[in-house]
Amino acid sequence: MQRVVVVGSGDGGTFTANLLASELRDEIRGGSVSIQLVGEHLHHPFQPGNLDIAFKGASPDKYVKEEPKLLRKGVEFVQDPAARIDFGTKSVTTKSGKVLIYDYLVIATGAVADPSKVPGLAEGAMNFHTGGKDSQRIWESLQNFKGGTVVVAVAGTPHKCPPSPNEAAFMLDEFFHKREMRDKVKIRFLTPYPRPYPAEKISHVVEPLFQEKGIEVTTFFNVDYVDPAARKIYSLEGETFDYDMLIAIPPHHGADVIIQSGIGDQDGYVPTDKGTMKVKGQDCVYAIGDATDIPVSKSGVVAHLQSVVVAHNVISGIHETQDILEYNGRINCPMEVGQRRAIFVSATYTSPPTDQTPSMVKYIMKRSFAMIYWRALNGSLEKVFDVFFGQTRFPVAKQETTEKPLVMVTAPQSGGKQNA
Amino acid sequence: MSTVEQHKVIDSRGSFCPGPITDLFKAYRSAQLGDIIELLATDPAAKADVTAWTQKSGNELLDIVDEQGYIRILIKVTKKRS
Repeated sequence: MQRVVVVGSGDGGTFTANLLASELRDEIRGGSVSIQLVGEHLHHPFQPGNLDIAFKGASPDKYVKEEPKLLRKGVEFVQDPAARIDFGTKSVTTKSGKVLIYDYLVIATGAVADPSKVPGLAEGAMNFHTGGKDSQRIWESLQNFKGGTVVVAVAGTPHKCPPSPNEAAFMLDEFFHKREMRDKVKIRFLTPYPRPYPAEKISHVVEPLFQEKGIEVTTFFNVDYVDPAARKIYSLEGETFDYDMLIAIPPHHGADVIIQSGIGDQDGYVPTDKGTMKVKGQDCVYAIGDATDIPVSKSGVVAHLQSVVVAHNVISGIHETQDILEYNGRINCPMEVGQRRAIFVSATYTSPPTDQTPSMVKYIMKRSFAMIYWRALNGSLEKVFDVFFGQTRFPVAKQETTEKPLVMVTAPQSGGKQNA
Repeated sequence: MSTVEQHKVIDSRGSFCPGPITDLFKAYRSAQLGDIIELLATDPAAKADVTAWTQKSGNELLDIVDEQGYIRILIKVTKKRS
């Protein structure tokens, strides 16, 4: 019996478990392979929906489904958070004390947005990174806002969904226009980066739009602390701004189980090979998505594309073949810029983001993804994604020579590129 | 209170924008006045980004050296809210 344990039931963990169950269905049926997915929550959120909850008033319930309903036959869902991972004994211990032994382990524990890391941030700011309910607080506050300064601040990097701070500013602008009170509101955008968006080509799109919409930008602003009573936000560099409403992207760190198990870096992210997605120093352990220390966007698309590589490599191990794939760093982050226009921030490890023109087609594509997300989790849309994303993975031996996209055995597959 | 100045080397080689500047900020966050931060980067954009940051923040750019295949940037922390 080959036992595969996937820790973390977010986008990457759920998708990986489903890919494995799809590809290994005969082995699972025959009793030679088992797939266990370990997760804390019964409810699985579509996290990009938080922006719509915060700035368009969507209901959090619209973006949630029950995890067991998202899983393919053959995946055993263990609803019990992982408390400890031990590479030595090849085991995962859950909070309730269950011990799961693995032959292959996939770590998909994500990143945690943690406002407590900045003094005053939890009390003085709202955010849309800690869940649907917190996003809803923003929408409720906007209903009573009579005017003043709204500050959108990036209070820590890296964070989930790199375009989301910019999108928040664009969506606020749109919200106040619709309420016919834009002239009563100053929107200020604070970022530690040298420009409104870290990647220069994307900033070439964002910066003029911010200027056109009167969104004021302050760069090189590393948030030091917030004084909720005085409604002021301070930078390490010595600048201070007043606010009437503060919406901040909290600092992130790795999951508690990674920190408690002592298998992460100083921020709790798992040291991972950026190609094979193997955890460094381990043979049969992989990590994907926000949980890794790989310098690519922390986003669902990245987790999705890495899942394909990891599922393939785990299956190769089980089948004792040398057919190993490497992820090429493909990222693809949509960003709404207002007036029903959007861009896609796309790149790979070796190709930075290129020039973009906002379009309605991209906006519709972004909006459509919210509808197909649930189906995407079971692997049934992989052929479509392969066409859309193009090359996202390479066979290890041929990485330097081939440019031909790969296709996996049956349902699940994918390819690759990177971004900032 | 001890105020021994530290020299911290940050290796961001192989990381592209915003990797090096993000690594610098992480070091800056834990640094004290007088500390030296040595940033190693292969991303050519690091030169302009770090220069712009020191100019705006008031920290001191000591040197930028083109080494074999990478850039070495030396910064002295002279401005930081205490």
